[in-house]
Amino acid sequence: MSVQTRRAGVRPLWDALGIGRLFAGFRLTWWDFVLLAIIAVGGVLTLIRYATGIASVANINNAYPWGWWVGYGIMTTIAVGGVGFTITLLVELLGLHRFHAMLRPAVLMAFLAYASAILMLMVELGRPWMVWMILVSWAPTAALYEVGWCASLYLTVLLIEVAQVPAEELGWGRALRVIRMIYIPVMLLGVTLSHLHQSSLGTLLVLIPHKINALWWSENLPLLFLFSAMMAGPALAMLEHLAAARWLGFAPRMAMLASLARIEVWVVAFFLAFQMGDLLARGASDAMLAWNWFAIAFWAEVGLGLLLPLVLLMLPEVRQRPAGLATACALIVGGVLLHRLNVAVIGLRVRHWETYVPALAEIFITLGITAGAVFVYGVLIRILPIHEELRAPHAAPRPHAAPAGATHRAGAATAS
Amino acid sequence: MSDPVPAKPGAPKVKTKAMIQDNTRCIGCRACMIACKSWNERPADHTDFFAGPGYQNPRDLDANNYTLITFNEITTGARPNWVFGRQLCMHCEQPACASACPTTALRKTELGPVTFNSNRCIGCRACMQACPFLIPKYDYESRAPLIHKCTFCADRIEAQLKPACATVCPTGAISFGDRDDMVVEAKRRIATSPGTYVPQIYGLDEVGGTSVLHLSSVPFEQIGYITGLPKEPMPDLTHRWLRVTPHVFGFLYAVFGALAWIVHRRNKNRGPEEHHA
Repeated sequence: MSVQTRRAGVRPLWDALGIGRLFAGFRLTWWDFVLLAIIAVGGVLTLIRYATGIASVANINNAYPWGWWVGYGIMTTIAVGGVGFTITLLVELLGLHRFHAMLRPAVLMAFLAYASAILMLMVELGRPWMVWMILVSWAPTAALYEVGWCASLYLTVLLIEVAQVPAEELGWGRALRVIRMIYIPVMLLGVTLSHLHQSSLGTLLVLIPHKINALWWSENLPLLFLFSAMMAGPALAMLEHLAAARWLGFAPRMAMLASLARIEVWVVAFFLAFQMGDLLARGASDAMLAWNWFAIAFWAEVGLGLLLPLVLLMLPEVRQRPAGLATACALIVGGVLLHRLNVAVIGLRVRHWETYVPALAEIFITLGITAGAVFVYGVLIRILPIHEELRAPHAAPRPHAAPAGATHRAGAATAS
Repeated sequence: MSDPVPAKPGAPKVKTKAMIQDNTRCIGCRACMIACKSWNERPADHTDFFAGPGYQNPRDLDANNYTLITFNEITTGARPNWVFGRQLCMHCEQPACASACPTTALRKTELGPVTFNSNRCIGCRACMQACPFLIPKYDYESRAPLIHKCTFCADRIEAQLKPACATVCPTGAISFGDRDDMVVEAKRRIATSPGTYVPQIYGLDEVGGTSVLHLSSVPFEQIGYITGLPKEPMPDLTHRWLRVTPHVFGFLYAVFGALAWIVHRRNKNRGPEEHHA
C-alpha cells in the first residue's frame, strides 16, 4: 500500500482516486457560466463583508438583528433541505419504492442545502470562527443550541448517505462496506434529527410574540415549520426531476410524479387547514381581514403558495403535464419561502424608529451561495449516477451513463 | 470581562440585588450615562443633537451607550413638560436573552446581574432578537463584533460597591440594594405620595420580574416604555417545546426504526431485486 501511495504521489491525487475519470467528456455549459458569474459576485461581496464588517454590506441593525440572511439564508434553505428527509421517509420508512428514483437526488439536494445554510451562517454570524463553541456548550434552553447540534449532525448523516454514490462509482470497497453497514441506523438518525431541528427553527421565533404580527406568531410555530418543510420537500423533488429530465435529456417519469403530486395535494391541504385552524383558534382572524401590508403578505403566501398550487395539483390535466406540475411545485416552494420570510422578517416589527429592508449586497451574497449549491449539484449529476434514468437501458447514450456494474469494476481496477 | 458564578438552584441563597429608577426624581442631568461610559470604558461618540426626539441624545442605546435618559415632552398640568425615562438592561429574573443564547455567553448571576462573557459569543444575535425590552446592541461596524448591554456593574457589585450610575446620581433617583428591600421601598414611595406616582412598579412582575424597578409620574407607555408584556417569564414559551426534545428524539427514533424494520421485512419477503439504497 505504501509503495503504491508513493508511486501514486507522482500523479495528482485527483487521478489517484479515479476522480479525473469521472470528468471524461464533461463540459461546462452557458448555464454553468451564469451560475459561476453569480458565485463570483457573491464571493466578492463576502470578501468585503469579512474585510470591513457586516455593516458594510448589510442593512441588519440593532432593531432588526436578523434579516434576509436568516429568513432566506437559514430558514428557507433549511426548509427546502427538508427534501432529504421527506423523500427518505416516503421511500425507506413508508416503503413507497415507486419514488426510489427521487431518493438520491433528494439526499444530494438536502446535503447541498444544508452545506449552503452552514455557509450562510458563516456569513451571518458576527464571529463565525467561534461557531464551534455551540458544540462545547450546554444550553438546552436555547432553540438555536438544538438547531446547531441537530443541523451539524444531520449534515454528517447526509455526507455519509451521499458518499455512498462516489464510493460505489469509484470502487472504494471498504468505505462502501462501512457505509452500507451503518446505513439504516444513520438514515433513521437523519430523519429523526430533521423532525427536531425543522421544528426548532420555529421554536426560535416562539420566544418573541411581542415582535411578530398576530398573523404569524403562534405557539405552534414549531409544528408549522415542520409541516411546511414536509410540504416543500416533495415539491422540490418533483421540480428537480422535471428540471433534470429536461437538462440531462431523459424522459420525466410522469406517472411517478403524478403519484407524488396526489400525496402532495394532501400535504398542502393539511398544512392549509393547520395554519388556518391555528389562526382561528388564536383569534387572529381580524388580522387576516385588515387592509395593510401584513395582510397582503399573508394572502400572497396563502393564495399563491397554498391555494393556487392546491387547485393546480388537484386538476389531473395540470399535474400530468410537466409545465403544469412544475408551476404548482415552484409555487409551493415559493410559498414556503414567503412563509419563512413573513414570520422571520416581514411580519416582525419592533416599536422603533429603525426599519429594515435588505440591501442588494445582502441578497447577492445569499444568491451566490445558492448558485454555488446549484452549480455543484449540476456538476455532480453529470459525473455521478444520481439519476436512475440515466443508467436505464433506454436513456440517451452519454459518456457517464454506462451501466453501474461496468464502471464499478473499472473503478475497482483503478483503485487496487 | 468578569464572569461571576452563575445562579445554582441548590446553592445557598444569596440576596439578589435590585435598583430603583425613580423617574420622578430624575432631572435629566445624564450623570448616570457619563458614569456608565466611564466605568465600562465606552468611547465618546459624535452625535447630532436634534437627531432624536428633542433634547434626547443619543437617539437610542447602542454599542457605546449602555444606558440612556429619554426626554419625553408631555403636557402635565397646564404646560408641556419634560418627563424623563431611562433605558438600561432590566436584568430579568429569568432572562429571555440568556435562555436563547446557544453558548451560555449570557447568564443570570446569583447577585442579579445578567452578565455577558465575550469569550463565548458567536455573534448569532439571538439575544437581541429575544429581549422583550430591546436592550442588547451590536457593533455591526466591527470585524469582530460583540454584544453590548448594561452590565449592572457586576464587577462592582461583586466587590460590594453600587453600580456606577447609582453612585453618581445627584438627586437620589437611583437606589440600589437587596431586591426585597427595593420592592418594599418602591411600594412605600407610591403609598406615601400617591399624587407623585402612577401606581405601578415597572419590573415588579413584567416577564416574571426584573432586577431594575422603574417608578414614574405618568403612565409608562407615555415615556417610551414597552408595556403590555406578559407576567410569565419569556423562556417558559420555548421551554414547553425544548424540554420534550430528548423524549421526542427517542420516540421518533423508535417509531421510524419500527417502520424501517417492517419495510425491510416486506422487501425481503418480496425478493431482493428492487431494493438498493
